[in-house]
Amino acid sequence: MTMAAAGSPSIRFAYRPPASAAIAFVAFVFFAILVPRFPTLGNLENVIRVASILCIAACGQAVVLILGGIEFSFGSSVALASVVTVLTLPDTGTLGAFAVGAGVVVLVGAVNGTLIARFELPSFLVTLGTLMIGAGLASTIAGGLPIDAPASDAFSWLARGRIAGIPVPIALAVLSVAVLYFLLAHTRLGRFWYLAGANVNAARLAGINVRFVVFAGYVVAGAFCAVTALILTSRVASGQPNLAPNLPFETIAACAIGGIPLAGGQGRASQVVYGVLIIAMMNNAVVLLNFPVAYQRLMIAAVIIGSVLLQKLAGKGWQTGARSGGSS
Amino acid sequence: MTGALSRLSTSGRFLVAPVCLTVAILAFGAAVPEFPTIANAGNVLAQMWVLTLLAVGQMFALLTRGFDISVGAVAALSSTVAALAANHWGLPALPLGALAGLVCGGLNGLMIGSLGIQPIVATLGMFVGARGLALLITDGGQVVPLSQSGIAAALAYNSLAGIPPIAWMALAVVVAAAWVLNRSVLGRRIVMLGSNPDAAWLVGIHPWRVHLAAYGLCGLFAGFAGLLITIRAGSGLPTEGTGMELQAIAAAVIGGTALTGGVGRVSGVVVGAAFIQVLFTGLNLSGISPFLAGVAVGVVIIGSGLLEYALRRFLSPLEQNRRMA
Repeated sequence: MTMAAAGSPSIRFAYRPPASAAIAFVAFVFFAILVPRFPTLGNLENVIRVASILCIAACGQAVVLILGGIEFSFGSSVALASVVTVLTLPDTGTLGAFAVGAGVVVLVGAVNGTLIARFELPSFLVTLGTLMIGAGLASTIAGGLPIDAPASDAFSWLARGRIAGIPVPIALAVLSVAVLYFLLAHTRLGRFWYLAGANVNAARLAGINVRFVVFAGYVVAGAFCAVTALILTSRVASGQPNLAPNLPFETIAACAIGGIPLAGGQGRASQVVYGVLIIAMMNNAVVLLNFPVAYQRLMIAAVIIGSVLLQKLAGKGWQTGARSGGSS
Repeated sequence: MTGALSRLSTSGRFLVAPVCLTVAILAFGAAVPEFPTIANAGNVLAQMWVLTLLAVGQMFALLTRGFDISVGAVAALSSTVAALAANHWGLPALPLGALAGLVCGGLNGLMIGSLGIQPIVATLGMFVGARGLALLITDGGQVVPLSQSGIAAALAYNSLAGIPPIAWMALAVVVAAAWVLNRSVLGRRIVMLGSNPDAAWLVGIHPWRVHLAAYGLCGLFAGFAGLLITIRAGSGLPTEGTGMELQAIAAAVIGGTALTGGVGRVSGVVVGAAFIQVLFTGLNLSGISPFLAGVAVGVVIIGSGLLEYALRRFLSPLEQNRRMA
């Protein structure tokens, strides 16, 4: 889909797809030729279903990266949400439990946002701290073991249900990307995120309430991650204190592969989609090829490094010309 | 230029770890009868070195404004390589594991320094890749038992002046790291690149060489940690070290290493790692959930950041007055 968020806030381009779109396309053709079972409709739905769960959290990570920050606490806030959701389930019912679980993730985002925006602490430090606190709390509450949720259709609907024939996670991912696109390209807050990420001092001098803008960014990131947390909880139907420890790394990798620079100030919603799709297609293909796990890991490592490197080379042509000084 | 006050604000960060360690020891000592015994002190001193080595290596990466999230995976790979090498060529080949760590770290350094890939992407690639390689050489994650495990056990569990020989070796390596950082040209270059990359470039330092060396050292220390794992367990453990990368960063940060680069002390990092080890041991002995250690570490990390914020807030007006006077 063409989602033309201009790469830089002040300059408008005619729509030009990011370099990661080309990589995603080449990867698709390559896997389609190499793996016979890859381009079947059922398998592609599977690819997109797996991609969608990662995609929603990656949307949140993208906001933080655009702000020039980094978000590690996703790894444990997802687990904390799953434990809390399952524990509150008997008292509050499905909808209430989901609300409480989502609230926990948003709350973690708000704590991060407060510490980073109000006290000007580095996001790396803060989110590392909240990651450890969240993981400790989740394990302590659950006693280190998974807690089973009573099976119910309502509870597993988020992961397994369908809306108008489309699996719910995919529908939610499309919605998330649309929201991210709208926020980044069409709201004042989104444009301020770019400005705060590119140059905090300039943003402050321009009269922007940087504290609020940064705080809002981490809360929105938490909200995106909350959706992923609920889908994951619904999928495993239990409270897992060790639900997705690598989620922060995976979302950062997806954004980096999509071409969002970690220096901040740049990035668009479509890049998240391409990054997530590249990861999901590759994961799926290596499983279909029935390679041993060891080779799968090595291939994933090669693709992470390779696609970032490719974009560095490809991007030298036009991307760097678009901004003034750039990263250090 | 640098007055006593600004020196206080930089050295304040190095006080966090000793204060936390003292408080933790006093608290556990008062609350848990098994904690303040000589046997337990020896336990902590024997167990803290894997984390310490990883954290000291991490410090070198942090000094250059980067970080390395692959250290846990690299330690596991090194542990496996060491065990395979020792079984093939005899126990003296054990240090080849550290060489594997050095190669991994060097690759990280090349990717970051000369290809210009961001540290998180490069070391994330290594994190996944090193795990894959460790699985590959062990048929999917089988433990590799050492054939001469007797000598390894003697190294790991005999007592030499109170602590095991292997802990003395780890201490020696850590002292060597302090020497590299404070007394060698390379160490000074790493600090310089971290505190001001532009200045380092202008005086003719090749940034990519310094990155190569810093991440190489980080990988080497992860390799040493891998050797330690192999010797203590009596076997190569290809799946060990998960979650250690974040603990290592936590220990380094609590020990006063600045995420903005250019500031760090080996002694601080060692105390930071000791604090985390005391937390784990103390919580285990007390029967309270050991998972609370993570909460405490997280609180200390954020607390140390807030302390720095407060110091900056209160000292900077005084600093300005001095400059005007």
